[in-house]
Amino acid sequence: MTLKDIAALESVQTLHPDFNADTAVTGGYTSDLLSDVMANADDGCLLITIQAHNNTVAVAALAGAAGILICNNRPVPEDMIASARREGLAIFCTPRNQFEASCMLGRQFGV
Amino acid sequence: MLADLHNHSCLSPCASLEMSPGLIARTAAAKGIGLIALTDHNSTRNCPAFRDACKRYNLTPLFGMEITTTEECHVLTLFDDLDAAMEMNRWIAAVQPRIPLNLDYYSDQPVVDADDNIIELLTYFLGQAVPHSLESVRRQTRLLGGLFIPSHINRHSFSVESQLGFLPPGDYDAIEVVPGTVDAYRRRYPDLPVITASDSHCPEQIGTWPFHIHLEGQGHDIAAIRRGLMNLTLNNLSSTP
Repeated sequence: MTLKDIAALESVQTLHPDFNADTAVTGGYTSDLLSDVMANADDGCLLITIQAHNNTVAVAALAGAAGILICNNRPVPEDMIASARREGLAIFCTPRNQFEASCMLGRQFGV
Repeated sequence: MLADLHNHSCLSPCASLEMSPGLIARTAAAKGIGLIALTDHNSTRNCPAFRDACKRYNLTPLFGMEITTTEECHVLTLFDDLDAAMEMNRWIAAVQPRIPLNLDYYSDQPVVDADDNIIELLTYFLGQAVPHSLESVRRQTRLLGGLFIPSHINRHSFSVESQLGFLPPGDYDAIEVVPGTVDAYRRRYPDLPVITASDSHCPEQIGTWPFHIHLEGQGHDIAAIRRGLMNLTLNNLSSTP
């Protein structure tokens, strides 16, 4: 599974183009506590969260996440998108909630 | 008197390395601040240097930290007594997660003396949430005789409102709000002192958002500061329609 495949999922919108679409996505990590993400998220995961702000980009980059999926149609601020572009980190958004988004990704991985 | 209760020194991983306790005290004094707190993320290790620096510039210091609670709310815990602040530090450090500091994203975390000499570099990330809840931090702060003030409660991240959606009713000495929102929060919480703070991370930010506090007498201890804060609520009542 790659970021290109994530972008192609139903109801997922890509918020900027400045990332490598062939980057492998190795799984998902669903959490709204950034300290938990920092401590426990795996390299290459897609971070599923509603924390739509700049700090999420820093923590996702530190944790080695492949990208971020913002749930519940939370508005994503411009400075967050700008930081993600600088990091080459993909940001997606979806109207689905964290449970639905996790199930959607889980189906792709046969979880 | 002008008070500024939220400042980060070079010890905080997100602060400029120029922010030595000495520079903070000197700059604050030059800007007319009289009461100033040092509040690094989850550590009071630069407070001994801050005490010495404040003495040089005749400032009243408060020793504290900005704790990241388990809920990822930032709260200020402040003491007039350095020993109490260091006791609070031991309580935090005993359970602090040891996540290595990544220098690609954060700066070094030096413990320094009042003359800017580096004593030690802390190698674990100080910004990580500690396994104590908001309520547990409040209780420990009270036990040690300190002030308990939730930071920037209406900011979009790491605030009581961003994490919990509301300010839990409780025993606060004040609430810090984002500059420009003081009047709105005074109306919303007429019983609480509402303050601004610089939350300085670099020299230019020192002394940018202080508030006025009236302190009675000469000894500016916690009790006097608490009374001064409570007096701020008189303004709330008079400005409440």
